[in-house]
Amino acid sequence: MHRLRSLFIAIVSLTLILAVVLRSARATGQAAQTQASEIKVDNFTFSPEVVTVPLNSTVTWTNKDDVPHVIASTDGVFRSKGLDTDDRYSFKFTRAGTYSYYCSIHPKMTGKIVVQ
Amino acid sequence: MKDIKQFVSTASGIIEHDHHQDGIDRRGFLKCMAWAGSGALCVVEAGVLKSAALGAQLGSLKKPATSNQLSFVQISDSHMGFSKPANPDVVATLETAVSKINALPDTPGFILHTGDITHLSTPEQFDTVEQILKSTNQEVFFVPGEHDVLNDDGAMFLKRYGRNPKGTGWYSFNHSGVHFIGLVNVMNLKAGGLGNLGPEQLEWLKDDLRAVKHSTPIVVFAHIPLWAVYPQWGWGTDDGALALSYLKKFGSVTVLNGHIHQTMQKVEGNVTFHTACSTAFPQPSPGQAEGPGPMKVPADQLRKVLGITDVNYVQRRRGLALVDSSLE
Repeated sequence: MHRLRSLFIAIVSLTLILAVVLRSARATGQAAQTQASEIKVDNFTFSPEVVTVPLNSTVTWTNKDDVPHVIASTDGVFRSKGLDTDDRYSFKFTRAGTYSYYCSIHPKMTGKIVVQ
Repeated sequence: MKDIKQFVSTASGIIEHDHHQDGIDRRGFLKCMAWAGSGALCVVEAGVLKSAALGAQLGSLKKPATSNQLSFVQISDSHMGFSKPANPDVVATLETAVSKINALPDTPGFILHTGDITHLSTPEQFDTVEQILKSTNQEVFFVPGEHDVLNDDGAMFLKRYGRNPKGTGWYSFNHSGVHFIGLVNVMNLKAGGLGNLGPEQLEWLKDDLRAVKHSTPIVVFAHIPLWAVYPQWGWGTDDGALALSYLKKFGSVTVLNGHIHQTMQKVEGNVTFHTACSTAFPQPSPGQAEGPGPMKVPADQLRKVLGITDVNYVQRRRGLALVDSSLE
């Protein structure tokens, strides 16, 4: 009985280790595909206005204006704090789709992130 | 165009606005706008608005009788915390504005601040403005600008300056026979849109006006202009026209705004629209720059394009007088 129990524990442990190894390997593969993307906020516009990125990319906005801006997705997925001059805000996109966003205090400023 | 009032531009620089005639003189309008920063006087007396550059013409306009007079000051866009080249010292310019207020010949009854008190909504910036304004010994009525509600949907603003337990900061009060309405058009802004009042506030406004006599002069104040100054730069309010439609039945309506950091005025029907200068930095005239950001002028010119607005009301004459004066 004792030997059987040890064998059982060994098999379970091996399976768990294998699962962890496989998972981290997959994660490494994904990380290799991840891209960083930069958006400049300048003169009350997002530049570029439309950005297309692969899944799991991190997009970073940098405010180059003398006034603060707030990066806010139209449907509430992400929202920065008030960004002063040269402040940055990053968001990682882990689901595919098109994300419309705007500056919540200067709503004429709009942009789009397409995640593929 | 029946309800648009007439401007008469005269050689002396005085603009008269006849409430009983139709049509509009665009030269007069532009002239009034061109005074931005140099100081302008606009008087509504017995239904007639007169404007003049501050200084030379002051003596030529009748000073309102002192009986039953209400006087108050509008300041705007103090942007405490701003330190960019357009004005590295917004504390000093706000202090100058306060000195001007304290030196007014007629002590004002109170102060209206039409928003962007702070640049980044921090407690320290709110505190600094509070300290500086204290030396006026005046009660200050605030409405928020978009810079005052950056990170908390206006919670800090409401805690400090809220006068109505309902809503996002709108309220009304009566003073010396005038009904004052503070509106909030910087909350819940929609992507691609302009300033926004929202249905709840509009409903409140409609209700608030029910008890006001049509002969009572009304002063509406809000941060972003309620009229479409320049929508391309976001200088307007999406549902502003709806709010103004509720005010049509009132004999005298004055709408005071900030946000655009320059004086601008127009009269339409019973409504006089006026925007105040900032005490912090100027912004370009509509469409005269790539964008609406802070405008850098030579250091010795800065105080000429910043300022305050002094408003006088004479009960017997049912008139409001607006005086824009620059900090220098």
